[in-house]
Amino acid sequence: MEFNVNSKVLEKLLSKIIPAIPNRTPMPILENFLFEISDNQLTVSATDLEIALKASINVTADENIKMVIPAKLLFDIIRSLGDAQIHFQTEVNAKLIMKTETGTYNLSYSYPDEFPTVPVVPKDNLISINGALLKKSIDQTSFAMSKEDMRPAMTGALLEFSEDGLRFVATDGHRLVKYINKSIKSDALEQYIIPERAITVLSKLLTDSDVKIHLSKTYVSFHIDDLEFISRLIGEKYPAYSSVIPLENENQMKLKTADLLSAIKRMMLFSSANSKQVRFTISENLLEVSAEDVDHGSSAKETIICDYAGVPIVIGFNTAYVNDVLSHFEAKEIIFFLQSATKACIIEPSEQAANEDLMMLLMPVRINN
Amino acid sequence: MHTIFHLDLDAFFVSVERVLDPSLEGKPVIVGGDPEGRGVVSTCSYEARKFGLHSAMPIRQAYKLCPQGIYLRGHFSEYIHYSKAVKKILEEYAPLIEQSSIDEYYIDFTGCEKIYGDFPKFALFLQNEIKEKLSLPCSIGIGSNKTIAKIGSDFKKPMGVTYVAPGDEKKFLSPLPVEKMPGVGKVTLKELQSRGIYTVGDIAKLPQDYFATDFGKSGLDLWRKANGEGTEFLTIKREQKSISKETTYSEDVVDKKLLEDTLFNLTSKVAQTLRDNNFMASTIGIKLRYSDFQTIERAKTIRPTDDDKVIYETVVDLFRKAFTRRVAVRLIGVHLTKFANFAEQGYLFESEDEKRKKLLKAVNIVRSKYGFGSVQLGSLKEAD
Repeated sequence: MEFNVNSKVLEKLLSKIIPAIPNRTPMPILENFLFEISDNQLTVSATDLEIALKASINVTADENIKMVIPAKLLFDIIRSLGDAQIHFQTEVNAKLIMKTETGTYNLSYSYPDEFPTVPVVPKDNLISINGALLKKSIDQTSFAMSKEDMRPAMTGALLEFSEDGLRFVATDGHRLVKYINKSIKSDALEQYIIPERAITVLSKLLTDSDVKIHLSKTYVSFHIDDLEFISRLIGEKYPAYSSVIPLENENQMKLKTADLLSAIKRMMLFSSANSKQVRFTISENLLEVSAEDVDHGSSAKETIICDYAGVPIVIGFNTAYVNDVLSHFEAKEIIFFLQSATKACIIEPSEQAANEDLMMLLMPVRINN
Repeated sequence: MHTIFHLDLDAFFVSVERVLDPSLEGKPVIVGGDPEGRGVVSTCSYEARKFGLHSAMPIRQAYKLCPQGIYLRGHFSEYIHYSKAVKKILEEYAPLIEQSSIDEYYIDFTGCEKIYGDFPKFALFLQNEIKEKLSLPCSIGIGSNKTIAKIGSDFKKPMGVTYVAPGDEKKFLSPLPVEKMPGVGKVTLKELQSRGIYTVGDIAKLPQDYFATDFGKSGLDLWRKANGEGTEFLTIKREQKSISKETTYSEDVVDKKLLEDTLFNLTSKVAQTLRDNNFMASTIGIKLRYSDFQTIERAKTIRPTDDDKVIYETVVDLFRKAFTRRVAVRLIGVHLTKFANFAEQGYLFESEDEKRKKLLKAVNIVRSKYGFGSVQLGSLKEAD
């Protein structure tokens, strides 16, 4: 079997697939690309059993073949070749020879018998969404996913079809983000939980072009241009997040996102490494943020002008969480909806973007005096 | 030269019962349990002691000797409350306190004579403070080390103050019967008496080697104490940084199920210690030693917790990932570190956790009264 391919073209293809190659795995076969040549089409795929990536290019080959090639070695050599024509040729004893004008590179391939089959997601349940929009939805929510596997459902991001739109939800129990894309509505309520790894990879793959999404009970597939990305779904029930969103937070504090964010970044320097606590002392039209590190005898406070007419409230937060939440707002102005020092606080942009509904929720830190 | 006080609350449980119910004053009162049951006497009043009752006596036997006594089950939480109240009073005056049991305190007053003057007078003052503020009687022993102070507090009871001046230790100890020495129990007493040793002075007179050869390390210790020596330093609890518990099997084990059962028991113990200290741990680790002594330690950091269930789930997860060789296991252990004081960070999905918190609180209460083994949590493997 032989075929020719330009190194730039192949590199582009492989770079899309390589994210599915696991860094560490007890199954060495997963550290390979699966090359399938069928009717002059080269399809490369890889999987870590949680996610799989697959893409094709056209080549002119003299026969069909399937082979498993060490991913890292192949990718590194192709990448370093720059722009060159490569001639691929297989020989007996599972040898793969790559020739350029000046070099010859031999490597061993294996047979694909042990390579796991990439699951096929039924094509019936289809939605189409703009790639940039999907990326925005993911990036705005995914930071809140839990990093502990005690509750597997929370380690992923929830994709929920509902009457009011397509909802993206992520929470680790300390903060929660709910982002609704109102342009995609559905009659039936359906929930899918996409694992963290898939979310991270997906965010890097998305482009401006439209994405076709197919969902089954156990898998989701995304078609991004000529690339197919498949991920396992988390087969757990997502916690009843709606019931923990408070409804009676009537004290509203409106302020400029940038003002508070920059103050919080300074408070992070002064809050104690242990508690990371920042204190919000809210009175009429004035917010005072303060932090203190008793162990090092350092402290800081700043005042920020805000719109506030509610009852005076003193509430504590984890600086890192406030920083996370605030840096994921694009809106110039945000509103805090508060109830008391121990109840969850809701943060929303003062004006929602068209066709969007964004809400973040933050649990306070108990202030001990 | 050190000056150590040993303060011993007289018939503590009975004294507390009398605070709660003054009508018990002057009557033979026994705290222990059901006179028909199988318990033993925890504490009995001095009136009851006249009938030959003493602590640790089977309650049925006590009942036979003193049927007119008032038998009480006791209010353990009250005892803890009063014990803490006494410590609080002492803290106003003492630079260093070691609470060695619920009703005993060692206090180091070394170098305080300029502040408090005459030590025996000051001891009377302390005794009076506690009596006035809490209505609890106590006895105080003062000596140059812990042993002398402890024997001193037992020398004159109730409401006694015994001061052993520096240099007088041997003179003070010598006439005392050997059973007054801490560490001399029934067996040692019999052994000593069979050798014609009846008083502490008898011990002190004999050569050190005699005890070292026949009684080993504890004999040596006894001889030193009889000669007026003892520890001069209090054991002050330092900040605890980790809690761990491990087991070495008498025979190496390869059965995964059995190993997980052991981990379950170890988890129950460390989790209880954790809750007793009001801590939450965020790093949970396991230790695994194979029969060839290859030792593996794995740890994981999670949201701070004090829940057996969460800890055990993490422990098993770590164990299943770490136990990869088909080799028998010699030792297995659970380790908790990175303590946080009670979770200040609020959590959204509290309902289920709240229920478990209540459950664990109840477990704490039962265990504090009746011991660790009184309640076991069912296996959590299938639970969710």
